Amino acid sequence: MFTRAGKWVKYTILTIASLITLVPFYFTAIMAFKAPKQILSGRYLLPPLHPTVDNFLRVFGAAPFLTYLLNTIIVVTGILALQLLVIIPAAYVFARIDFPFSGAIFGLYVIQIMLPLQALIVPNYRVINTLGLVNTRLALILPFVGSGYCAFLLRQTFKQVPQSLVDSAVIDGCTHFGLIRHVFLPLAKPTLAVFALISVATHWNDYLWPLIITDNDSVRTLTIGLGMFVQHQSGADWGLLMAGTLFITGPLVLLFLLVQRSFIESFMSSGIKG
Amino acid sequence: MIPGLTPGRHKYLTIALFLLPSLAFLGLFTYYPIISSFYLSFFRSDPFTVKPIFVGLQNYIEFIHNPVFWQVITNNVIFAVATILPTMLLALCFAILIDEVALKSFFRGSLFLPKVVPYAALAMIWVFLYEPNIGPINRFLDLLGLPTIGWLGSSQSSLLAIIISMIWRNFGYYMLIYLAGLQNISRDLYDSARVDGASWLNRHLHVTIPLLGPSTLFVFVVSIIQSFKAFTQVQLMTRGGPGYSSSILIYYTYEFAFKFWKMGKASTLTSIMILMLIFLVILAFGFYGRRITYEMK
Repeated sequence: MFTRAGKWVKYTILTIASLITLVPFYFTAIMAFKAPKQILSGRYLLPPLHPTVDNFLRVFGAAPFLTYLLNTIIVVTGILALQLLVIIPAAYVFARIDFPFSGAIFGLYVIQIMLPLQALIVPNYRVINTLGLVNTRLALILPFVGSGYCAFLLRQTFKQVPQSLVDSAVIDGCTHFGLIRHVFLPLAKPTLAVFALISVATHWNDYLWPLIITDNDSVRTLTIGLGMFVQHQSGADWGLLMAGTLFITGPLVLLFLLVQRSFIESFMSSGIKG
Repeated sequence: MIPGLTPGRHKYLTIALFLLPSLAFLGLFTYYPIISSFYLSFFRSDPFTVKPIFVGLQNYIEFIHNPVFWQVITNNVIFAVATILPTMLLALCFAILIDEVALKSFFRGSLFLPKVVPYAALAMIWVFLYEPNIGPINRFLDLLGLPTIGWLGSSQSSLLAIIISMIWRNFGYYMLIYLAGLQNISRDLYDSARVDGASWLNRHLHVTIPLLGPSTLFVFVVSIIQSFKAFTQVQLMTRGGPGYSSSILIYYTYEFAFKFWKMGKASTLTSIMILMLIFLVILAFGFYGRRITYEMK
């Protein structure tokens, strides 16, 4: 079936699919740079003749998006740092040390993968309330720290480290911490990079939890900021809405385009697959 | 394993020290919440009751007799099935296609890109695309001479509209998982199938698809979980409406908890959600049985 016709069919299908995935980005971008009058004109789905950044200025004027951005960065890096801090030692133990019930205990981490925090918002709200952390950035961070997914991925990766490397490091006098730092983590770099990206993208995306656990702008993150912003807009000011949308999406799209190739390569070669 | 490093009691001290921090987080934000929501699901707890009152199974019974609850459950099932099946099918087809053409990295990248869009942004983008008058989708239908659709504003299409936006966002991600699976299939198998005279379709039906079983299981489990998390789109695109036509379990739970502050009933819904998730995941693993044992080792 590697005939010329078959090949053209494949390219055509893939091109159409790519258009479908890319065109919504195009609309978002052109709307964001259009003045309201242009949007209502006949050629509103074409690129703006006179691009303007007015919409962005109005967005920043209407809601503290820079504060949201700062909060988002604090929250996503906080989550990632704490996840790695608590999960790396655990993954090391599960991958490399034999002890009774290790399978059952590891099961607690695997089950957690299947019970998303979103399903547990009601009881978790009560936990955070009891801890007195409602409306803090810490409340946006803590529930996500015990990541079963991270434990699962790192355990798989640590298992693949050759025993001979470990043995020679032990002979050189390495302790557990030394082993993790000098043997396991360097070899786990691709997995760590992929997990870091997934974690950042996931928590950049968090909406439900920030919605219920925050109630003022000083701790809100971008996604929830956009949600609130949208609800306070009366009427459909598409230029404004799309500027806000572009602002919360842009950093992630740029990050992805920058690391695209290496991300996809390591995604496909690391344990993150079926 | 690590010999001679820490003999005897020391070993268990190390294990405990290394595990306790993460176990503490899991306990506090996953396992204690599960237990506490099952516990509270047997109580009436709302703004009108000072202290939760034990009511036994009453919350559950009330939901069973509530048609809205069943509508929400039905929506949830429709939502899950109608997102999972097309997403998986598209992902599989595009993985196979991309594997066989040049320009792989361009197509991979562009099909994956929607995955990095936050749901809040996705919701806004699609609210615009679906806009009944100036929205590009209806314009396009109009251009083709087809009747336009009310999309988010109509109870017939609101759920479907959300589903389409989910498929758009996620199929590229699952395609990547399938592509990773495809790299593990030996080229020899295709060559021998070709020697045996198998057509392109048959080679994929009898070699690719069975061997991608573990990827399929992974994709299936991930998408089930996805379908229970789809709160953002529902809240920003339709607020569950019109009526309850696009409300799903997570949104319904949110309403009980944080609109009506009926924590007892919200806990009942949470418990039902946990039970459904556990049931579905067990079902998925049972279905693929042995295959997963080598995958999870």
